[in-house]
Parts: sequence; structure tokens; C-alpha cells
Amino acid sequence: MGKEQSPQVNRRTTRSSSSTTPNSKATGEGSKIISNTKSLTVNDLVLSDESINLEELINSFPHRRMQILELIKLLGPLNSPMIPLFVYGGASTGKTSTVLEIFKHLNRPFIYSSCVTCYNPRILFESILNQLLLHRKNESNGYSSAKRCEKPSDFVNLLRDALSTLIDSLKGDLGKSNSKKSASQVNGKMIYLIFDNLEHVREWDKSSNMLPFLFNLYDILKMPEVGVIFISKTSLDTYHSDTGYVEPFPVYFPDYTEGDLRQIFLKNQSNPKLYSSFLDAVLGPFCRITRRVDDVTNAISPLYKKYCELLDDTGVIPNKDMKSELYRHINPYISQSLKETFHVPSQPTLEASASKDKTKRKGITKLGVSESFDKMDFHMSTCAKYLLISAFLASRNPATLDASLFDSTGGAGNQKRKRKSSGKSMEQKESKEQELLMKGPGTFPLERLLAIFQCITSVAEYSPDDEDPQIDGQGADGWDSGLMSDVLLQLSSLCSSNFITKGGSCPLEGAIRYRSAVSEDMALKVARSLKFPLSKYLYRT
Amino acid sequence: MGLESLAEQAEILLRSRLCNPNFIFSIFSSSPDSNYSKLKYMISSSVTEACNNSVLLLGPRGCGKVAVLELVLEDLLKEYPDMISVIKLNGFLHSDHNCALKEISRQLCLEHQLLFSKMATFDDNAQFMVSMLRECGLAHKTILFILDEFDLFAQGKQLLLYSLLDAMQSVTSQAVVIGISCRLDADQLLEKRVRSRFSHRKLLFLPPSREGLQRLLEHILLLPTNSSFPHEYVAAFNDKLLKIFTDVKFKETVDNLSYCDSTVNHLLRFLFSAVSHMDLKSGLLSLENFKGALSTIQRQPKLEALKDCSVLELYILVCMKRLEAKEQELRNFNSIMKEYKSIHDTFPTSDYYARNVCLRAFEHLLQRELISFEDNRGHGQSTEFRPVKLLISWPELYQGLKSYHSCPLILHKIMDREG
Repeated sequence: MGKEQSPQVNRRTTRSSSSTTPNSKATGEGSKIISNTKSLTVNDLVLSDESINLEELINSFPHRRMQILELIKLLGPLNSPMIPLFVYGGASTGKTSTVLEIFKHLNRPFIYSSCVTCYNPRILFESILNQLLLHRKNESNGYSSAKRCEKPSDFVNLLRDALSTLIDSLKGDLGKSNSKKSASQVNGKMIYLIFDNLEHVREWDKSSNMLPFLFNLYDILKMPEVGVIFISKTSLDTYHSDTGYVEPFPVYFPDYTEGDLRQIFLKNQSNPKLYSSFLDAVLGPFCRITRRVDDVTNAISPLYKKYCELLDDTGVIPNKDMKSELYRHINPYISQSLKETFHVPSQPTLEASASKDKTKRKGITKLGVSESFDKMDFHMSTCAKYLLISAFLASRNPATLDASLFDSTGGAGNQKRKRKSSGKSMEQKESKEQELLMKGPGTFPLERLLAIFQCITSVAEYSPDDEDPQIDGQGADGWDSGLMSDVLLQLSSLCSSNFITKGGSCPLEGAIRYRSAVSEDMALKVARSLKFPLSKYLYRT
Repeated sequence: MGLESLAEQAEILLRSRLCNPNFIFSIFSSSPDSNYSKLKYMISSSVTEACNNSVLLLGPRGCGKVAVLELVLEDLLKEYPDMISVIKLNGFLHSDHNCALKEISRQLCLEHQLLFSKMATFDDNAQFMVSMLRECGLAHKTILFILDEFDLFAQGKQLLLYSLLDAMQSVTSQAVVIGISCRLDADQLLEKRVRSRFSHRKLLFLPPSREGLQRLLEHILLLPTNSSFPHEYVAAFNDKLLKIFTDVKFKETVDNLSYCDSTVNHLLRFLFSAVSHMDLKSGLLSLENFKGALSTIQRQPKLEALKDCSVLELYILVCMKRLEAKEQELRNFNSIMKEYKSIHDTFPTSDYYARNVCLRAFEHLLQRELISFEDNRGHGQSTEFRPVKLLISWPELYQGLKSYHSCPLILHKIMDREG
């Protein structure tokens, strides 16, 4: 068999890297770095040096006792073969961390790969092989993988070889060092493959057989020293396949109940009684919305700070009167926070609270939320803004109204005589308008967009502000032509930043149709920055 | 040896049996009428008489097609040591013609101690295969091609199948093609020219009958008497097990298991769970192990997902159900919000939440796969406008609400009214 070289990665030399001369200091550092990364051994396939015992494991995951014991029983005693397992449950229920901690407790070697970071088959295969071959990507090998592997057939062959060498070395290690057993020694001669976030594989190439291949991997390999564990957010019945696959054994992680959440939050608190009274007030309303640990944590942590505002000393144990007083204090903030659940505070709010500059903001600062500005918080060129407004109008209004709304006066004179319609037809019109709103923005062809754009900009008053400094020399005509020339460029950049989406082409007409993807608030903000009367042009009865 | 370590060893033995399909299906090889003997006869006759042949092994997944074939091959390799060489291909890996030829060449090289070059082109590999077939034919050596997941090879242009079956037509070659598939109509998928070269032999593998199931259970679970285990332990273990087998409740459990899926694989997973939960202190299997295993293997994922939902998510599901009942065509997030608002106008409660909160709950429901978008193409629109459909049925939703432990009364009222 020919010798296989690791794939050479062609790296482009940047100007900076080719211009720096390697001086002695850099090489000294470089060699230090290289000498720090020792080659990987089998011991690195096991998590960390200290092992934890069963009681610690169960205590670190409250309310997961049943699942932990079930998994340990299914993994079985040392060196016993295992059928593939399928661990599933909602988001943030502790599946990944529980499985990894169990392996830390059992001290058995495993290979972990997540289908989120390995987002196509090639990266997944190479990641697994790198771990098995104890290969680390570093500067000396140009950050390339140990073996290049794209197809499942190559993967299975390479996997088999790598697994057998690793298992042989494990068996050899066991035989050699039976006398001394250090804590970091791996247990057993089985290797476990863990595939995390399996639900993402469904969205990979739909015509490929990746999912049935992964499920059948254990049968294809036919090696009893290998165990396979899948972790997924959705249950097995959401994995569809034409001809089916070998079903792994399901283990379910249910979501936490309200009582469970309370126990989880009370762990490691400095003042449990105070926190428990806080949770009495707060946990109920939030659990009606969601019981996901991460969402609830984000929501209640700023509230706790507010709760403790009245207290001088946070170590105090509250009595009944204090509890009711604190409850009255926190109640309005709870109802406000319920409207803003799941919001992680953005940077400006944190800086503002750090500098305690309250003069800029009026009204009650919402906890942990940046105030919605009336202005746009990013910059767009004038042409792009007008295009955005035209697209919004084109999506919002039915095409038949264009003639009446956008006449030669720029639509300013659309106060036509209105026929007095009867009550019933008004209701019908209203409901139709509601339906149109609910259905979402409509599509429009390019010509209609440009027509509306032309109409709007021809009557708009151009106020020279700091936006387009290079145009101030030319007159209004020059500005017009300057504006029109890069309309198509602006349109394509709006499309690529998802303000306007490009749809498929109609089979009869053959033209591409566009659709606006901005909300009404955003369009109003843009219009306000241009001093454009948007409401006059919106289709309303 | 302490009882616990004995029990552990017994557990390891049973688990390795359960993970080894060859052991499981060896019980079916004894009777003369079985698939095992038919297959063995067919292959051995084509080996001895130096003729070409092809056969399809069909049956649902987990009924022992590959296992029986492996057993046959094991026996034949013992009987005719130098006259058979085996090439194994799998439809998941090698359905592409190039990959398949490369793999065939690689395996042929491995078997005959030749050097395999990864740089060989497609033509080289094809020529190599043809010449190897000829050489082996002249040396009276039969090549067995095993094509697992045969239906995947029959997709596309079926080039590999045609070239294999065509090569078999020549006088000098000696090959047997064995196709394995879970599609019972795998031979209908073949093109006309391929099908004409294919001998229409099919062996059907079916799930075992009740008696076969009983024999299988005894074969797997009873500890061997002539092993390294102490005699009293083995006797106690086997006695308890035989008593359990005659118990009515055990029979009910096994019947329950085979109502939904009667293949051997399903039974093996059930037994695996039961064996893993064996009580190590007593070292014996008990009826509770089997009953517990049944409940872990028969899951109802949608009801579990419903129990995980929060109250707001239940509201959204009930609103969707009402929209369906009203036969509204437009069912997207906006129309659900309208329905939600109308429910709260009629029964005001504290459960009226803001729109962005409801949107997040809606997205959680999408993640849980209790609802899904109606079409996959509408990626241009945002989540609020795309039409959605419910993925659970009316009775499931009703049952889920009934078993939800703090379900608001309003939802119960609405569900009862809808009937």
C-alpha cells in the first residue's frame, strides 16, 4: 500500500507574514510553544485527572438521578459490549454534560464530536479520526488533519484501522501496568463514540444517506469493543428515512418541573432562605412561560438584584413582614420583566448602568433591556433608505393601488373623494386588510420597485447633511443621476443583508420577484430619519 | 468468587451474546428447512459445480439476513478453505460506482496479498476486477460478492450491478452475487438489462413465530452449564428463568412487545435493557426487570413532549387546534395571536403575554417538533408569516392536557367544547 502523506494545506502568504523577519525572540517563543504541546496519549481520551464518585456525580445534577443510574446501567460493567444508545430531551436539560460527567466518573475513553461544530460529513469524519489517531492540529503540520476523508467508504476503512490500533494499545497498556494504577489511567479496552446535536444532520444534504449510515455504523463496523451514543434534542420518531435504519435504545431526559428548578437555583446560594422567599415570588409566573433553565436564569438574575435593594445586609433571614414588603417592592418589576423575557442585556445598557448616567434616559429603565430608540442605530445611505421604503411599500400595498397613490405629484394629492361605503362593506374591507396584514409581505417585481423609488425620490426634498459629502457640488439633477446609478448595487447589498429577500421566479413571467423583510417599526424609523411621510402611502381603508 | 462479581460476569456474558448477531441466529440453522440450509446448499453447489449464481435475501430489518449469511460463510470457509474469496460491499458506502470499484479492488488486493494503490484510476480498477475474475475462474476459485443494502445499488444507473452480472455471464468467471435488502420489491427496482441477467432467486426472512421466540429466549438467556460458572449458580439462575418464562405476565409482556414490532432486533433491545438492570445482589433476573424494560422501550414521544411544554405553549397549541376546527385556511403565527387574543377577550386571565414572549414560545414548539412549517421552501419569509401545521393529533393533545398537572381550567373548557 502506498504511503499516504497528510494533506498539504496551501496557505496564502499575507504581506505581514512574509515581511516579518524571524528574529531570535520570535523563534524562541515559537520553539517554546512547540515544546509545550506534547504529543497526545491515550490518557487524553479521558476527561481530566481527578475522578469523581457516584454520590458527587448525582449531587452535581439535581433531579437527574434516575437518568444517571439508567445510563450507567446501560453502559454496563467494564468491557461489556453495548447496543447504540440514543439520549434525547429538550434544550438545556443537561444531556451533554451528564453524559460527559458519567464518562469522567467511569474513567473510560471516549471520542466526542458535535454535529454543530462539525457541520458537514468531511469535518465530522476528520474530527473523529484526528481524535482516534491522537493527532493535534498545530503549527508544525500546518493545522491539517491526520487523514483526508470525504466519503463514508474511506471513513469506515480508516475508522476500523484507527480503532483497532487504539484498542490494541489499550490492551497492551492494561497488560503492562497492572501493578501500578494511577488515577488518570483509562479503564477498560472499549472506546465510545459520542455524536452530539444529531438533529442537525437532518439538514445536511437531504439526498445523502448520512443519518441511516450513522445509525447503522455499529452494525457496519462489527467491532464489539466500540460503543456508540447519540445525543439529540428531538425524539427518534422525528428522524425519517425511506427504508429505515437500526433503531438505537432511547433514554429520555425530561424537562425540569417547577420544584426541580427551585432546587437547582437554591444550590450554592449564599443566603438560601432569602433566595427561597425570592423564588416564591418570582418562579411561579416565569414557569408558566417556559421551564428552560437558561431562559429562566437570564430572566430572574437581574430581578434578584432589585429584590435585595431594600435590604442593607443580604445575609439577613427575612421574617413574614419583611417578605411581604419585599414582595410588594418586586411585584411591578416582575410584570414588566415578563414582557421582556428571554432578553439578554446588550452592551450599551451595561455600560450605562456602570457609569450610572441616568440623565440620558427618561422614564423607568427596563431591567436588563436597552431602550428601543426612535432613531435607527446603524447607518444607511440615503439611496438605500429610499429603496428600503419603496420595497416596504411595494410589499405592503397591493399593486392596483399604485396608480392612485403614486401619481406625478409624488402621491401628495391622494385625498380623492371617498365614496361613503356602508357599514358592512367597511367591515369586509377591514377584515380583508387584516388578512392581508396577517399573511405577510407580498412579492413584487423589480420594475415595480424601481417605479415606486423613482416616484418617491423625484419629489423628496434633499437636505444636504453629513451623509453624502461628495455630492454637494452638484445640483439637484446631478444628485438624481448620482442616486440612480447605483440603485442596483444598493439593491443587491440590501438583498445580501436580508432586508429584501429574493424569491423564486414565476414560471409564466420568468422574472425574479422580491419581498421586503423589514417590520413596520423599522420602516417607520427609516422614514422618520428621512422625514418621509410613510403613513400617507400605506394601504389603509 | 463473590456473588456480585459472579453476577457481573453473567451480565457481561449475556450482554455480549445480545450484541453478537451470529450467536443469536445460530439457533435457526439447525432445521433442514431453514433459510440457512437453503442458502448453504445454493452457495456450496455453485462452488463445487463451478457455476455462476445470484440470489436476493429479503426481509424486514433485524430478521437475521446478514447474520445467517455470515454463519453460512463461516461454515463454507471451513469446508472449502481455498476455493472461496469474499468481497463485501455496503449500499450506504459504495453506491457510487467509483467507490465500489475501488473498494472491490482494495479487498481483492488484500485477500491475495497484492499491493493496492490509491492512485489507481477508475479504468484501472475496472480492468483489474475483470482480469481477477478471469484468473480466479481459471483457478477454480469462486468470488462471492455480498451487496448489503442492495436497493441503494439499484438507484441511479445501476452500473455496478450491470458490470458484475455481465462479468458473470462469461464462461471463465466463477462468481456468486448475493444481494441483501429490506425492501421486499428490490428485484423490481432493477433495470431490464440487469434483471435479465439476474436469476430470480429470493429467500424471504421473516420474524420468528411464537414457538421460535420461546426457543430463542431460552437460547439467549440460559447460562451454559459447562462454563466456568459454578454449578449451583447456573442451576439457580436457569431455574428462576424457566419459572419466569412460564409465568402468564411474562407471556403478556412478550406479546405486548411483539404487537408493535416482532422482529428479533426489537426483542434483543428489550432483553438488553432487562439484562442491564439485573439485580447484582441476588445475581438473578426477575420479572420486574422485564416489565421495566418494556416500559423503557415503548415510549410515547409526543406525550412526553407535551408534558414538557409550559402553560403558554399549551395555549398556543389549543389556539392552533381551534383554528383547525374553524377550518381557517391561513394558519400562521399572526392568526394564532389573533385567536389567543380572542380567547382572552372572552375569558380574561392572567395568562396574557406579550407578542415577543409568545413568539419565543412558538419557536420552542417548533424545536420540540410539535408543530412544523408547512413547506420547506418559504425561507424568504420570517417566522411570523409562514404557515404551520400541527404534528400531534386531537386525541393526543386531549390526553396530554388531561395529564398535565397544572393545566388551566380554560383550556380544559375549550377542549371539551370542541368535542
